[in-house]
Amino acid sequence: MVTKIEEAELSRLESQVDNGGGGAWDFLCLVRKLKVRRSDKVLKHGLSILNDPKKRSALGPDEWTLYEQVAIAAMDCQSTEVAKDCIKILQKRFPDSKRVGRLEGLFLEAKGSLSEAETAYTSFLEESPFDQVVQKRKIAIAKAGGKIIKAIELINKYLETFMADHDAWRELAEIYVSLQMYKQAAFCYEELILSQPMNPLYHLTYADVLYTIGGLENLQMAKKYYASTIKLTGGKNQRALFGVCLCTSAIAQLSKGRNKEDKDGTDLQSLAATSLEKDYKQRAPDKLQLLTCALKSLRVSS
Amino acid sequence: MGFGFTVGVFGVLILSHAAYSTIQYRGLLKIMEEEFSGPPLTVFGELVVGLILCMWAALTVPGKFLSIHPDSEENRIVSLPENLDFMIFNHRGRVFPSQVDLKLNH
Repeated sequence: MVTKIEEAELSRLESQVDNGGGGAWDFLCLVRKLKVRRSDKVLKHGLSILNDPKKRSALGPDEWTLYEQVAIAAMDCQSTEVAKDCIKILQKRFPDSKRVGRLEGLFLEAKGSLSEAETAYTSFLEESPFDQVVQKRKIAIAKAGGKIIKAIELINKYLETFMADHDAWRELAEIYVSLQMYKQAAFCYEELILSQPMNPLYHLTYADVLYTIGGLENLQMAKKYYASTIKLTGGKNQRALFGVCLCTSAIAQLSKGRNKEDKDGTDLQSLAATSLEKDYKQRAPDKLQLLTCALKSLRVSS
Repeated sequence: MGFGFTVGVFGVLILSHAAYSTIQYRGLLKIMEEEFSGPPLTVFGELVVGLILCMWAALTVPGKFLSIHPDSEENRIVSLPENLDFMIFNHRGRVFPSQVDLKLNH
């Protein structure tokens, strides 16, 4: 999870490192902790530490973690030479390590020889069939090879064993969304909300999926989840505010003439609208015109 | 930290002194064969001072209070981590390798 403060810290460190202000190691640690993908910068600044013997020896045992991090970043940037060198050094230091073995598999993947990587992973799994990382890599290979259906099958099989792995649930949800299988995606997001009920982003995406499916019941549900996102973020998530407005007008359109409009629905919409207007006035005054037009059109259609 | 800690120790000392004085006072009452109705006013004052000092130290020494609201700046989640376990390399980096000149030299 990346919180607001951590995000600000990351961007501060990033600009500091980019302008040559030092703090490269702190930046790399934060990138590792927050699991963000900044491969080009990790490669550049990580290498500058590794190439400096004095800085490298100051790290102590963290040096090997840095080698791993740089190797993965180098694969992501297609700098095969660097990746190969890093893996070689790690192999010399840890000859029988499984973690290094996985790194080699990843290297094969990065080079594009997916089938070789898959055979390597299969032989890993024969030794230790419950290695979660290797199983996930097999899923990723299926995805990289464009075999989405196979990837879905593999993830489902994986989730039967490791039901609490929310990363896998998230991946499955994203795949389903990319295939426009929204009902299945909604199920995955329900699982995610169950496992992390205080994470507003899952509420938000679940609401998005429900809104996309459409229908009166789903729209009402989506509105509730947008509202819970607003509650969890303290109204600082614009997407949720827009979502509430859209849902209310869509519900009004669907239930037109059928029953008298419930009053709190419109109240919620006007509250969200005022909050949005206030936010726009503060941060982007020149776009306020667009916003008022959009909100007006929503209200006219309802 | 040092100052707060000293205040806390001082508060505990005052409290234990109050306890000691109360015991002594009860012993005195026993000799004078009087009924114990409550500690004397000085001990009572000592108790209040000790309580305040200890409370102040306990609130300041362990560190700052952290927010528990999900919508506070420290807790508000703005983005999810990249799903690095499922990372795939099919992206434009393959076609446009950015940093060809970098090398690990040792």
